[in-house]
Amino acid sequence: MNRLVIIPVLFALASVSAYAQAGSSAESSAFETRYAVQVIDDATFYANLREPLPATLNQVLLEPSFSMHYLDRLSFSTSLIGVAATYSDTSTQLRVKETYGGLSAGDFDFTAGRKMLRWGTGYAFTAAGVLDPPRNPTDPSDRLNLNEGRDMIKTDWVHGPHAISAAWSTAALAPSQSNLHDTTAFRYNVLVRGFDTSLIAGDDRGADAFGGFTFTRVVGQAWELHGEAMWRQQAAVLAGAKYIFSNITLVGEFYTPPNTTYYRDPGVSPQAGRQHYMFLSAGKDRLRERPGWKEWGVSGSLVANLNDRSYTTVVDVNRWFGNHFDAYVHFAAPAGGRNAEYGSAPYSAATSAGVSFHL
Amino acid sequence: MYSKKRLFRAFLFLSLVGLLFVWSLRGHSQTSARVDAEALLKRSDTYRNGWPSYVVRVKITDYELGKSDEEHLYEVSQKGTDKTYVEFMSPREKGRHLLMLVDDMWVYLPDTSRPVRITPLERLTGDASNGDVARTNYAADYSPVYLRTEMAGDIECQVLELTAKRKGATYQRILYWLRAEDARPVKAEFYLTSGKHIKSATFDDYGTFGGRLLLRRLTLYDEIRHNSHSVLEYSGAVPRALPDKLFYQGRADRF
Repeated sequence: MNRLVIIPVLFALASVSAYAQAGSSAESSAFETRYAVQVIDDATFYANLREPLPATLNQVLLEPSFSMHYLDRLSFSTSLIGVAATYSDTSTQLRVKETYGGLSAGDFDFTAGRKMLRWGTGYAFTAAGVLDPPRNPTDPSDRLNLNEGRDMIKTDWVHGPHAISAAWSTAALAPSQSNLHDTTAFRYNVLVRGFDTSLIAGDDRGADAFGGFTFTRVVGQAWELHGEAMWRQQAAVLAGAKYIFSNITLVGEFYTPPNTTYYRDPGVSPQAGRQHYMFLSAGKDRLRERPGWKEWGVSGSLVANLNDRSYTTVVDVNRWFGNHFDAYVHFAAPAGGRNAEYGSAPYSAATSAGVSFHL
Repeated sequence: MYSKKRLFRAFLFLSLVGLLFVWSLRGHSQTSARVDAEALLKRSDTYRNGWPSYVVRVKITDYELGKSDEEHLYEVSQKGTDKTYVEFMSPREKGRHLLMLVDDMWVYLPDTSRPVRITPLERLTGDASNGDVARTNYAADYSPVYLRTEMAGDIECQVLELTAKRKGATYQRILYWLRAEDARPVKAEFYLTSGKHIKSATFDDYGTFGGRLLLRRLTLYDEIRHNSHSVLEYSGAVPRALPDKLFYQGRADRF
């Protein structure tokens, strides 16, 4: 049923998108618009379930996005996610990933609405991304685009390499089970001698004040270094690096959060103390060196909790068919003791396969 | 005897003066060649960058074994010689952006949680690399030396050797053929630090955009995998006042 609804919607959006693309040229015009639509059919199969749960989860996602700028002064952007999921029963849900309006005046930008901020520099983890969407180290790229932004008003002052941001985010519209508070946060960001550096400070209403910094730096031809440190009751630290070798991208991160309410992962006991994590990844976006394989991408990663010695191995393979379709397989195999963070998953392996359409 | 000595001294003196004259002429011609090389390179850049601040569409078609297999569309906004912002427009890359400030480069992917810092090596992936699209002011990035004048096909060309001023440049060495008549780029060869010849380019077609004669089509040949090449087609180039904050690396609310 849901797929029957999606098809006419898809064609309607395709027509609108084609009109918009034809109308938007490099020539200067008062209005500029952009459209994008993604449709994903994703099936996840769980192996060796230890609990009486269905072994298959099927999801169909429709993700339209629309942005509009007027004279580089006014902007509006919205990105929605419609999810139809079939597991123990069938449910549909509409999520608002982002919807915000913006006003630009001189060096100042004002934004109001739901928006995704990305202040953290970590790939799989973040210590300082106080308003960022949550990082999932076994799916750091959020492959189904299910993350949602925070509801906020924000002001940015940008002048040369300097930028100061002030944001106030309300938790009033956040899901009831979330651990979010009303947050006031400030950031000073500057690019100096190749260091992209930020100082971040703020306060969660009814909870903690916080302060910290982030940086990224490219070293030589093949290295990128990044790091984050944040004090919120205790210190949380992330250090990471990216290295390019024979067109293979290697990423490594070490992350140590305190075992406090804000940083604790749901799978970790409050008595477990400070946790230490490691993330290793190797990937190649396109297998260009092999004739006929340039549409293929492959990556593998390992996420480990060094305290309880549990880990998850992840393998991703995807292939593009033309400019609009791609198919993928995402495989995750948790391992470790039953009470360990990753070992407590109720299955031995989860294999997701899907196709997506891009417009 | 006396006159022979005087004659010999006069001969030595004249030889010395002659040598000094030739040496000074040679030095002068080398200086003017160097000046010419810089002027030539700056002039050749105007065929790729028509205005100090402008926007242009670039369509890249990749060919493998002679057949087109992929198309990419970009909108490039450039301000000065060191600020470039690239919006990816084709369906499979929509939502991506690339920002280049001098030698620092970031890519914004819609599906990652942060802007990703790009290393110089990552600029070289693909037949048409990020650097080929985002970095076209060679006079800002390379020091030119005039090598020779030669024919490229039936076009008389002046050949420049460009050496990267900084390690962060896309290529470390470029051999650049410019049409002698008007310094219009004709072809180029691109080399890595190791000396490896990685790509070649032919500048195939020029057209008038906003009253300026600008590059319309460029073909890049992969010299590692000889069976592939990319055609870059430029269109809709217009001057546009671009705000500095478009080039701010921390800006998240991009199209």
